[in-house]
Amino acid sequence: MAEKSAEKPAMREGGRGAPALIGGRYQVDFAAPLAGAGGGVMAFVARDQQNAAAGLMALQIRPGAPARVHAIELLSKSAIPGLLLPLAHGTAFTSEGSEAGFVICGAPPGPSLAAAPRAWGERELLDCVLRPAAMVLDALATRGITHRAIRPDNIFQGSAGEPVALGAAWASPPARLQPALFEPPYAAMCHHAGRGEGSGADDVYALGVTLLTLALGRPPLAGLDDAAIIRRKLDLGSYAALVGEARLPAMIADLLRGMLAEDPVHRPPPQLYLDPSAARARRLAARPGRRAQRALKIADQPVWDARSLAHALARRPEEAVRLVRSHYLDHWLRRSLGDAVLAGRADDVVRQRSEFPPEDSRADATMAMRLIAILDPLAPLCWRGVALWPDGLGGVLAEGLQENSDLAAKIDDLVAAEAVAGWALMRPELCDVTALRQTAQHHRMWQRIRGLGGGLARICYALNPLQPCASPLLAGSWVARLADLLPALEAVSQQAERRRGEPVDSHIAAFIAAHQDGRLGGDLGAFAGDSAGGEPQLASLRALSRLQAAFPTPLPGLAAWLVERAEPLIERWHNRARRAETLAQLRRLTQAGQLLPMLALFDDRHALAADAQGLKQALVAVAKIDAERAALRTASAERRRRATHIGHEIALGSGMLALAASVGWLVFG
Amino acid sequence: MKAASGAGPAVARSAARRAAKPGRSLVWLQGLACGALATLATPLAVLLGALLLPGLCVLLIDRMPGKPVARTMLLCGAAASVSPAWHLWDHGLTMENSLDLLSDVLTVGLAWAATAAGWLIAEVAPICVYLALEATAKRRDGELRAARARHEAEWGIPPAGAETPEA
Repeated sequence: MAEKSAEKPAMREGGRGAPALIGGRYQVDFAAPLAGAGGGVMAFVARDQQNAAAGLMALQIRPGAPARVHAIELLSKSAIPGLLLPLAHGTAFTSEGSEAGFVICGAPPGPSLAAAPRAWGERELLDCVLRPAAMVLDALATRGITHRAIRPDNIFQGSAGEPVALGAAWASPPARLQPALFEPPYAAMCHHAGRGEGSGADDVYALGVTLLTLALGRPPLAGLDDAAIIRRKLDLGSYAALVGEARLPAMIADLLRGMLAEDPVHRPPPQLYLDPSAARARRLAARPGRRAQRALKIADQPVWDARSLAHALARRPEEAVRLVRSHYLDHWLRRSLGDAVLAGRADDVVRQRSEFPPEDSRADATMAMRLIAILDPLAPLCWRGVALWPDGLGGVLAEGLQENSDLAAKIDDLVAAEAVAGWALMRPELCDVTALRQTAQHHRMWQRIRGLGGGLARICYALNPLQPCASPLLAGSWVARLADLLPALEAVSQQAERRRGEPVDSHIAAFIAAHQDGRLGGDLGAFAGDSAGGEPQLASLRALSRLQAAFPTPLPGLAAWLVERAEPLIERWHNRARRAETLAQLRRLTQAGQLLPMLALFDDRHALAADAQGLKQALVAVAKIDAERAALRTASAERRRRATHIGHEIALGSGMLALAASVGWLVFG
Repeated sequence: MKAASGAGPAVARSAARRAAKPGRSLVWLQGLACGALATLATPLAVLLGALLLPGLCVLLIDRMPGKPVARTMLLCGAAASVSPAWHLWDHGLTMENSLDLLSDVLTVGLAWAATAAGWLIAEVAPICVYLALEATAKRRDGELRAARARHEAEWGIPPAGAETPEA
């Protein structure tokens, strides 16, 4: 996927070790870091070889936090004033000597708004912040992209009175670095890598909190941790929680009321903020949630309404099981909250749970997930204490596989249970159930692929096209595109101590499978095939030769490595003369570094069939020989009996001959 | 059960008796011929009995089916006895002539030497045939061994006694 759209691939000019130009023209200056310019991501000065005057920066991508390929590819062809646009992505050698991925984008025009906190006036807020930001968000919305990193320390201003520029948000998963304060509660409660692309309404919310922060001259809810901020937003509503008793200009207060609405649908679109007066006039009244007469205590925290209960259960799913088993949930929903419809739906969920054994922990997790979805349909998918939006699965998985095995295990279970489909079914009016169900089934299918090329790694690489391959073989290399894989493996093959195992391990197989649009499908089973029969080796060779066909480059080292591991493949030839001939041909091909002819040599089905047929005939002949030899050994007594019989016949014949001769001599002599 | 099991051997014995009938009648005819010869031509019977005495003795002790050694000895002895028997017939079939011939050491020695030659042939011929058959078998085994070795070298088939690979 990324291969097709990678407009400006990074070049490894001069071989590995030489300074590489990203996109063929950008060079990273590691001696010039840019503190605070990357919006939480490490940033360095970048130089354009074709335009030395261009102010650029390079944002370093973390291995467990893949860059947003879709946004980068769309925006690299765009021109949006007031936004630090991505220009290219690729790899470069860091000062430590290892490779890393970078996104090149425009450098900030000045310091961030958080650099010198002050209270902004209404006019300045509207002219310098709201309108420019709304224009950017509107331009992004027309391209189907969200920003998801709007906060004062990622908004930059050249000088006072100038329109601000939104910072870069492309080198990590959407909203990964956003503090909970700037995110709607339903995004803030998610795992930081699982907030998903979201929608323009989420950007509007973040812009609203930014406006509030600038208007106040300080961040609201200072001193509260993320959990407390989310709980407060859910309890009181975002506007009430954030603004509180603060005195704001009437215009700003009215705008914030719309921007901080709980339901994303109620937030005005960015286009409306180009004319703040019109946006101010647009008001949608949201009905406040039903409040219970008595609080439900969960972990000593009082819960007064359904959505707070959903949040509490999302954080502590084991409480859901306890509340259901004690029948207290049903009691509280009917008696205290007085919502019989909600209680009826919860009953349905509990009834579905009762179809599974009580000790089935996955059924418990599914029940908790469903309960949360019906208690608060706006809430994200909550599975075993991890909240995420379905399109944030890739980000969570990337982090889980790189840094957090416990998280990866939970996601593994989530995929196995097809929880995304189950969650969508509980709130069909808020999502595309069919699409999500198909997505869940796809993920499940990839997860169930046995052996190499499947599992969570396959899903991770498929969902994160710029995720670097995490194979231990490629340690120190940044291989995020198929084009980079073969040169990296060729470099590994030059180091004898690193080429002990197979050149294609589980991560590399999953990486290739995910990036080849299913063209490797037929070979995936072979990766898990009989290693003594050479199936994995053949699958490796097939996959790598296809790559070489797509990205032609001689690979003598890799070819030699494959030949070293190809003993089972050579042993598939039974005819010793053919085997020797194959080895001789392989040595010639290895020097040329061409994998396709090697594959043709090993994958010649007709010749292999003829060889097998020859062996079969030879075995039949040998069986006949053995049988005849055994018969010769056991027929000694029979030969002795026959010899006696024949000998006596000869003796009798001799006697008769003598008698006849004697009579004949007497008669005729 | 007992009746059934007792009937089996009885049936086998009667079948054997039937099968032995032709041989026994032949023996009876041979005895009759010898008796007739001894009655009608006693000198000739004495002469032939003396000349064929070693063969006749072996005929009594030869336990092999068909008595091939005794028959060979008798045939060879008979070949050497044709001439004395004709001489006796030609010069008068009397006991005196018969004893005359028997007193000739050369005549008796020749007949007995022929009988001994018959015995020797009957004993040596099977050994020679056996050696010839064994040599043929050994040559064939060598050919087969060489053919197997070729297959082993060409296809990597394990030597005889080891497990063979699956085709």
